[in-house]
Amino acid sequence: MLEFIEFGIEWFPELLRGIPVTLSMWAIAISLGFILGLMLCWARVYGNRLLYWISTVYVELFRGTPMLVQMFFIYLGLPHVGIVFDAFTAAVIAITLNSAAYQAEYFRGSVLSVPKGQLVAARACGMTQWQAIRYIMLPQALRRVIPQWSNEAIIELKFTSIAYTIGVVEITAIASDIGSKTLDFFQIFLWAGLIYLVLTSTVASLLRLLERRFYVPGVTSA
Amino acid sequence: MDIYDVLIRDFPFLLQGLGVAIVLLVALLSIGFVLGMAICLIQLYGPRTRLVQWPLLLYERIFRGIPIIIMLFIFYYGISGVFDISAFSAAILTMGLRSGAYQSQIFRSAFQSVPSGQMMAARAMGMSKIKAIRHIIFPQAARHAIGPWTNEFSSEIKETSLAYVIGVVELTRQAHYIITSTQGNVLTVFAVVALLYFILNRTGNSLLYAFERKLAVPGFEK
Amino acid sequence: MADELILDVQGVKKAFDGLEVLKGIGFGLRKGETKVLIGPSGSGKSTLLRCINYLTVPDAGRIYLNGEEVLDANIDSMRARMGFVFQDFNLFSHLTVLDNVRICQVKVNGVDREAATRRAHHELERVGLGDKAAAYPAELSGGQQQRVSIARALAMDPDLLLFDEPTSALDPELTGEVVRVMQQLAAEGMTMVVVTHEMSFARQAADEIIFMEKGHIVEQGTPDAMFTASEHARTRAFLNVIAEHG
Repeated sequence: MLEFIEFGIEWFPELLRGIPVTLSMWAIAISLGFILGLMLCWARVYGNRLLYWISTVYVELFRGTPMLVQMFFIYLGLPHVGIVFDAFTAAVIAITLNSAAYQAEYFRGSVLSVPKGQLVAARACGMTQWQAIRYIMLPQALRRVIPQWSNEAIIELKFTSIAYTIGVVEITAIASDIGSKTLDFFQIFLWAGLIYLVLTSTVASLLRLLERRFYVPGVTSA
Repeated sequence: MDIYDVLIRDFPFLLQGLGVAIVLLVALLSIGFVLGMAICLIQLYGPRTRLVQWPLLLYERIFRGIPIIIMLFIFYYGISGVFDISAFSAAILTMGLRSGAYQSQIFRSAFQSVPSGQMMAARAMGMSKIKAIRHIIFPQAARHAIGPWTNEFSSEIKETSLAYVIGVVELTRQAHYIITSTQGNVLTVFAVVALLYFILNRTGNSLLYAFERKLAVPGFEK
Repeated sequence: MADELILDVQGVKKAFDGLEVLKGIGFGLRKGETKVLIGPSGSGKSTLLRCINYLTVPDAGRIYLNGEEVLDANIDSMRARMGFVFQDFNLFSHLTVLDNVRICQVKVNGVDREAATRRAHHELERVGLGDKAAAYPAELSGGQQQRVSIARALAMDPDLLLFDEPTSALDPELTGEVVRVMQQLAAEGMTMVVVTHEMSFARQAADEIIFMEKGHIVEQGTPDAMFTASEHARTRAFLNVIAEHG
């Protein structure tokens, strides 16, 4: 135990340098994923046949294949057709595209769960379709989706560790690097695991606060 | 040699990788099933003392809060420091333990969505607790669980690709071998690999949907 | 004499979080008798009924079925001999009507499958649902579900049937079909304890009515005595309210 703590004191600060990289990758990706996810959801629920078809294929493809393969495809594959990204950008793009597919599905489920009468009532009091979606549908759907969305956000936070495989210098990569320096992979990855555990628990608590902040009786469950 | 020739030449290797991925998948899901069911039953029907419940909660938290890549490293290097373990066995063990944490939650909420009146009626008719769980609660919980379990199946297929990081020669690793040994357009290789994962996912899902339909009775439709 | 009683309830007490719901209740039931428990909500009727088969374990008191004491140790076999009909039916939702009526015969009483099937069909005919054997609970109306749950209880060949407000969860137009089945059972000599607000049933089918309030038995007597010449102001007040609103 003492040895573990001494080891930690020595290498922990270096490990911490990975946190901003991990978190920025995550924050950018889920924000962009949020926007893209909403667009995909809109295309699937309200779009014409072409939009529906495109977004459905997109969602199925990205949900049906591993993130690791998607990341390799973007970082190692695309350069062969002349599209080159640095590792960080490639990772952010992969996580964004992957997350958008999942977010779109959660949004869709949530939009479909809002009772039809809500939109009818909104139109009946003179709102345009866009207004009805913006002021009636969206506020209800977004509240309902928070629990699932939170799960998804945490899954993606853990998925940022995959970026290590293409050389992004985030927590996992730094841990691996220290591991090969000290030849003590076990201990350093325990420390890395601890950092991730703190990050995911913190994010989970913050998202629960968000859920409580937007709680409305009858629309969301307590 | 053009990439298509390489693909055709090396396709048996990809299939071999797919085979490894499938064995890994089946093994980890089986371990996860047994473990998850045991945890769920202890949580719901076991002693309510903290001594029993607290470690189970901690187990779930840890395996759900730390990225699988980190867990793979921790287990692989941790165990191989004590006795010899192959990367493949380490992957099965780690991913099985992790799946158990997820499956226990699936089973728990499935059991909890069976109305309490069902247990009460079974007991009132003279069934013992074990008989009531076996004949009344379990068949209903299974119907609630199969949808979420299908999702878990899907996400585990994709997670098997991450066994790559500790050197398990599964599908993604085979693909990586191929692209590092050719100069051609590796985009195609990844596209083929993605397709294989996609087909595996789709096939599994169809089988599970068919099973779900077979179990469906009025009152338990999707 | 105590050993002639099918059911003998003695000094049952029950408190929830320090609130005493039953304050020492005793009554007995002879073979073929129907007793109806009435009283305002919160008077402890349903708790009493649940205490009889230990769905709620009483804090004090004894319960005897055919002279044998109901205990934690023998509870499963005792329950098998006391049918219980719930307010909200609680039919096993994943099983067909036939299987609902069959499963406990087979799994609890060890009846062979064929005999259980015959018995199930017989009991379903008895409650007028012979044609619904293949249906699932979700496909039935509330009244039909409750009749199935009565058949389920009957199929166990019980010494005693306990009814916990069997019509309270039903739409008014569906209560009649359930009440008729219960009346028929009473007339056929089934031994029953019924918690209900259906005063027409109490009046016609009860051998005795027990009026409960605040965990006590206030008064008990024949329907005639209770409805026409109750000695207690509380009983009269309750019956008046029920007569106006029930």
